[in-house]
Amino acid sequence: MSEIIRVQNLEVGYGDEIVLEQLNFSVEKSEIFVILGPSGCGKTTVLKTILGLIPPISGDIYFFQKPMEFLSEKSMNRIYDDIGVLYQTGALLNSINLFDNIALPVHMHYPGIPEQIKKEMVLSRLSQVGLETSWKKYPSELSEGMKKRAALARALILSPKVICCDEPSAGLDPITASRLDDLLLDLNTLLGITFVVITHELRSIEKIADKVLVLHNRGLYFYGTLEQLLETDDEFINDFLLKEKKDA
Amino acid sequence: MVNEKKLKFILPESISHENVSFLLREIQNHMQKDSNIIDFAQVTRIDTFGVSLLNHIKKSFKSVSFINIRPEVSELLNTFYSPAQRSDSDKQDDSTGNILEYIIEKFSGLKKSTLEYLSLLADEIYYTVQYIFKKRGIPPGEISNQLFLMAYDSFPIVCLVSFLIGVTISITSLDQLKQLGADIYLADLVGFAMIRELVPLMAGIILAGKIGASITAEISSMKVMEEIDALKTMGLVPEKFLMVPRLIAITVAIPLLVGMADLVGIVGGLLVAKIFSDIPGSVFLEQIFKAVHFSDFLIGLIKTMVFGWVVVISAGYKGFSVGRGAAGVGIATTQSVVMSISLIIVLDCIFAIILY
Ligand SMILES: Nc1ncnc2c1ncn2[C@@H]1O[C@H](COP(=O)(O)OP(=O)(O)OP(=O)(O)O)[C@@H](O)[C@H]1O
Ligand SMILES: [Mg+2]
Repeated sequence: MSEIIRVQNLEVGYGDEIVLEQLNFSVEKSEIFVILGPSGCGKTTVLKTILGLIPPISGDIYFFQKPMEFLSEKSMNRIYDDIGVLYQTGALLNSINLFDNIALPVHMHYPGIPEQIKKEMVLSRLSQVGLETSWKKYPSELSEGMKKRAALARALILSPKVICCDEPSAGLDPITASRLDDLLLDLNTLLGITFVVITHELRSIEKIADKVLVLHNRGLYFYGTLEQLLETDDEFINDFLLKEKKDA
Repeated sequence: MVNEKKLKFILPESISHENVSFLLREIQNHMQKDSNIIDFAQVTRIDTFGVSLLNHIKKSFKSVSFINIRPEVSELLNTFYSPAQRSDSDKQDDSTGNILEYIIEKFSGLKKSTLEYLSLLADEIYYTVQYIFKKRGIPPGEISNQLFLMAYDSFPIVCLVSFLIGVTISITSLDQLKQLGADIYLADLVGFAMIRELVPLMAGIILAGKIGASITAEISSMKVMEEIDALKTMGLVPEKFLMVPRLIAITVAIPLLVGMADLVGIVGGLLVAKIFSDIPGSVFLEQIFKAVHFSDFLIGLIKTMVFGWVVVISAGYKGFSVGRGAAGVGIATTQSVVMSISLIIVLDCIFAIILY
């Protein structure tokens, strides 16, 4: 197995304000890596730092075994070619409709692709997330859950090697959420796509996770496999997961 | 010396919103330097205001102890207890401490933002030139889209304002000119003032209010909604993707805008001359063509072009550096308009000095 992402002594935050420190972990090829933690603990911040959107306060990040700080904008873009991201808010462009949103990465990176093929690509991704009939709609005309699903379709369109999802199933009903998990698993097993997923849903963690990272108290609280997580007798983790169980 | 009874403050039966302010004053007056006792023996009812009062007392006087609390009251007190905050009195001391430091900080902030502004400007020029040669990196159809929006947004109002200013300055100056018997020079005055000075300035200010504000609002809300992040991880450059279409659109729109505004302003002057002074239109126009040269038109055009770029760059600068949340969008938009208008007026003054 080869390493996709490695993080060493990473310290993340905004300006001088440290949110998390002493982070060490790695994501292997074709695994589903789940990040857990209470609201506001810094999950989104870690993800965005790894993606190069927030400058790290200190520490090293390696992407595809290359240190990130040495990457110029150009090689950063080469990395982005292999990554799809589903943001917590969906982050669809509000000024264009769903079809154009999903087609945007194709448009911009492969301007010569014929319209018919582009249409086929977009509609197939949309039907994977159950939105094929809404392609004409604008993001403002979609529900939160639909935006999330559309954003996943956009993240999928260029079949990236890595997909990062920030709370993909938050705000979805149990059936849709479980279908989404199935989709992630399919993509993972059939295409070998590596996933980094932030989620709170225990059901989904049990179903999809290979490795789990729990963030708490300004740092890494737990880091191990799903089995280790489920067997642990740590009070905080059990409280956290149990609570999730009751909610679900 | 101090009698123990005096130190004990006995609370009434009920503590509620009705008597908290009275109690607060009373307790504060009775507090001693050392050990105070507050007796809860009579308290049976206490509401959320009362709980907050007692928690406040506990926090602000270190040597206070509560006695005879009934269990139900004690439970309430614990439930609503807010942990002590770091006192911000120390912080205040720091910030008011050194005015010199404050001024230095302000200036280094200004230096930093000036550098950031100029580097954004340089980037945008680079991206625009890069686009012109490579035709990649911005969404198809976006330039014409923006051009339409800008024209639709600002042409009517720029023309209206230009016409009215043409009329106004003509009426105001006609009286003076008449006294000198120099009515015909109204044409020179209107032509010069409109083409070289007023049209660029008014157009700049209107663009700041209409186009600048909408660009900042759009970009900053995209930033807040993570759309900018999404563009980046799709391998796109937001500073190019969003700004280049707008810069090209404004570059194309401004000559049309200036041409229209000049024309309409002159028509305003011409009407005034005809109505108030009986100068025939043809004579008025002939005089304008004699007095105003193509170079004057060009200067007005270049000035407006500079102002237009200032508006779009300032709008982008404020949009991309927005703070957090929806509140940030409003603040950024206001700041962008203020910044554009201030810069336009400063630059206009510099132009006037250079071109004098
Ligand atoms: N742009 C920002 N500037 C400054 N601080 C921020 C910013 N965004 C988030 N924070 C702070 O960083 C901390 C972590 O926020 P983050 O969004 O990473 O949490 P999260 O774990 O993703 O929470 P949630 O589960 O609610 O999404 C919070 O304390 C938050 O106040
Ligand atoms: Mg988050």
